[in-house]
Amino acid sequence: MDTENDSPRSLVLGIDTGGTYTDGVLLEYHSRQVLATHKSLTTRRDFSIGIEQVIENIQIEDPSAIKMVSISTTLATNAIAEGKGKRVALLLIGYDPDLVKSFKMEGRFATPNYYYFAGGHDLYGREKEALDLPAILAKVNQIKGQVDAVAVSSYFSPLNPEHENRVRKAVSSICDLPIVLGHQLSTKLGSVERATTAALNASLLAVLQDFVIAVRRAMERRQIDAPLMVVRGDGTLMSDEFAAHTPVETIHSGPAASAIGGRFLSGLDDALVVDVGGTTTDIALVEAGQVTVSEDGATVGHYKTAVQAANLLSIALGGDSHIALNREKVIAVGPERVVPLAHLAWQYPQVGKRLKALSRRAWAQATPDWLEYWYLARDAQDNSLLQTAQQAAGRPSAKALIEFLRDGPKPVPEIIKHLGVLHVAQIAPGAGGAQELMRQEIIGKAGLTPTDLMHVEGRYDPWDAEAASLALQVFAHHQFRDPAELRQEVWRQITEMIVQAIITFLSGKTLHLPDGRASEEDTGRGGRDDIGRWFFYNSIYDTHPQLETRFRLRQPIVGIGAPASFFLHDVADVLHTNLILPQHHQVANALGAIAGSVMVVEEILVYPMVSSSGLEVLGYYVQTSEERQEFEELDDALAQARSLSEERALGAALRSGADNPQVVIEQLTDGLDTYRVRAKAMGNPRLTG
Amino acid sequence: MGMELVRVDTQRAYELIWERITTLEMAPGAPINEQQLAQELDMGQVPVREALRLLAHENLVVVTPRHGLYVADVNASDLEQLSEIRLPLEALCANLAAQRATPDDLVILEALRQEQANAPAADTHRLFDLDHKFHQAVAHAAGNKYLAQTLDRLFGLSRRLWYLVLPHLGYLPASVEEHLELVEAIRAGDADRAGQIMHHHVKEFYAKVRKTLTTDGVT
Repeated sequence: MDTENDSPRSLVLGIDTGGTYTDGVLLEYHSRQVLATHKSLTTRRDFSIGIEQVIENIQIEDPSAIKMVSISTTLATNAIAEGKGKRVALLLIGYDPDLVKSFKMEGRFATPNYYYFAGGHDLYGREKEALDLPAILAKVNQIKGQVDAVAVSSYFSPLNPEHENRVRKAVSSICDLPIVLGHQLSTKLGSVERATTAALNASLLAVLQDFVIAVRRAMERRQIDAPLMVVRGDGTLMSDEFAAHTPVETIHSGPAASAIGGRFLSGLDDALVVDVGGTTTDIALVEAGQVTVSEDGATVGHYKTAVQAANLLSIALGGDSHIALNREKVIAVGPERVVPLAHLAWQYPQVGKRLKALSRRAWAQATPDWLEYWYLARDAQDNSLLQTAQQAAGRPSAKALIEFLRDGPKPVPEIIKHLGVLHVAQIAPGAGGAQELMRQEIIGKAGLTPTDLMHVEGRYDPWDAEAASLALQVFAHHQFRDPAELRQEVWRQITEMIVQAIITFLSGKTLHLPDGRASEEDTGRGGRDDIGRWFFYNSIYDTHPQLETRFRLRQPIVGIGAPASFFLHDVADVLHTNLILPQHHQVANALGAIAGSVMVVEEILVYPMVSSSGLEVLGYYVQTSEERQEFEELDDALAQARSLSEERALGAALRSGADNPQVVIEQLTDGLDTYRVRAKAMGNPRLTG
Repeated sequence: MGMELVRVDTQRAYELIWERITTLEMAPGAPINEQQLAQELDMGQVPVREALRLLAHENLVVVTPRHGLYVADVNASDLEQLSEIRLPLEALCANLAAQRATPDDLVILEALRQEQANAPAADTHRLFDLDHKFHQAVAHAAGNKYLAQTLDRLFGLSRRLWYLVLPHLGYLPASVEEHLELVEAIRAGDADRAGQIMHHHVKEFYAKVRKTLTTDGVT
């Protein structure tokens, strides 16, 4: 292709940090040709380690030719879920404490340190009450040594941010803490969501800055001098400088990127994108070439925010989901993610030998809990956790556990016996507990997974297939089942879980299935008392002699992620649609990180200036985040808002690294004579370096 | 600093190195090894280089074509030149602040003054930091951004002088009372008096620094 040879090559590197793997893909941007891919294990304790490994190991002749690096990361989501964010003081101005209390919303502020002060505006942007600056400064002086950042949210600040701006100026005069203002993150009027968003953003500032610095350092080591982009929760891109100021916008960026990658690879403008990873399966809808965005703000953990994010559903099911007996002694897949036994045995040959011995044991001595192994994932002699962890009275310490695992992985019953406890939960409980050791990736857990079943079937077998086969045999034998039959049942259950997720995602309706799975008798029982359930099972298994029911998905499914080809064929069959597995679908998420557009949205509010009686409209305000202008006529005000928002969006998009951004302006009505003028500037990322 | 357009890592490197230089942890006149500094800060060499360029612009780092990078020296002549420019500018700040301070400005000045009065005299670093914030707040109250920026740039240089004499001097307790008088003058809108107090306050500081430097022969 001559045209391609004529144009200079523009190499771009996309990186996605998933729950299990960190994927990298090197792409020629204009021809969209994939030149190299790389997978490394995600390091949950510090995502930048896995990213550095991708940057250091991906095959590339001349790293200096890379013109952009873009990253999607669940860093923000994880930091919030695991409470790794920094400590934040949230200053609530003009909020009614009784109202917040009566709706039990205190828990939603995302920080235990929130304080109420007089001030705020009303819904016409008029000062509701004078700002109590002396009280605010006294409080900040008192607590500034105990927090890492300050968030400020004032009542109706999108209409009039004056109080938030005054607080920022005053607080920054008396201390050096970073300050986040609610109105800069959201122009929506929901006061609790805005406060939550501000608090979360403040708690993530340093987290994302450290991350950006680590990635930049890794790039420099490989002599990559190029712009660094970070994916937002809606799949668009922003420069690393923007991300460092608005980290909260990266919530859910991973799944958004995979949906964009799915669209990019398949070239389909309308499809259901299903990303099957090691830990989760994420479902998103692409309509008219765009990933659909949730109307409500994104929810993370139990915090509802005002952040725009892709509309998606994530379930805890993936290639490395643990297949085990649940509390009711029924076979369940997930939600926990473990290392496949085939992989563990490949790393530690003694595990294979032990599984062989286990398969020869008598039925009662070969229970499925013998298939769960713990192992030492990394040496952590100097880890502060081990130094500070106190040995609880009569309970084994973290140290004893680590010592025991030092000569190789051990099955759980053996660990329990060695440490002299009755139950796993008793092993090094509390602050230095086994759970914490796993979270810090000091010890890991391995078990039977769908990946092992693929080894048994020879469909995917890079590691120890024999070990996988032995493990399945033990598990099946214990259940008085034939191994092949048990495999079928696990796959059936996986299909059911994904079909259920797709149906609930698209319909917005809930469907409760019996815990664990549905055997044929469950199907019958469920059918008797619940037509939703009956319809669901009858559509999957077609068991009713007279009534035939079926689901049909109009759009094709685009499957991405390494296990997609094993998980989704039956799902597509059940939904009577096509499964498309594009080439390189295994790294579509990383591709999505580079396929997105750079976007900046600027919103300006136009609202009436009313007389003090509130009865007469005297004119209109045009309110940007910094200033307010007055107009007599609405048309003039709206025209000014349009031109201001366009100018601001364009400038910000250029600063954020967009190449020749195009601006689209929308005018939305908020009711009460209030208008929201939204300028969206979008362009491909500018490639330099 | 208006560093919005500066890379995140450059800004971090700038802050870390600025702190080291102004507290004399990086000694005046010492050569700077860019690579070694990058390793110490656990950062890339590019942001460190960029940060050093910014610091050279602020006269905290000196670039010589043949011998590379040095931490700028501190000497008696710097002291004279600094005090010469800071005296009239700080007095001007106080004068303008008395004419222009908003109610918010007065709340800020009062909060800083009170914190200063409550801080233990032994906590010299905190007191010095508060003193700086107080001067910054007066500069903001003056409502002239060029004036505030100019004084901010001189601050890094003054801070080094203070750390130089710190072991010989301790903090200057007189300034706590002076700050109170200054706040009162600004609140009363007495521009001349505010200017005079500030002039005296800054002059005293430099006089003590000068005395310490000459008698103890610190440089």
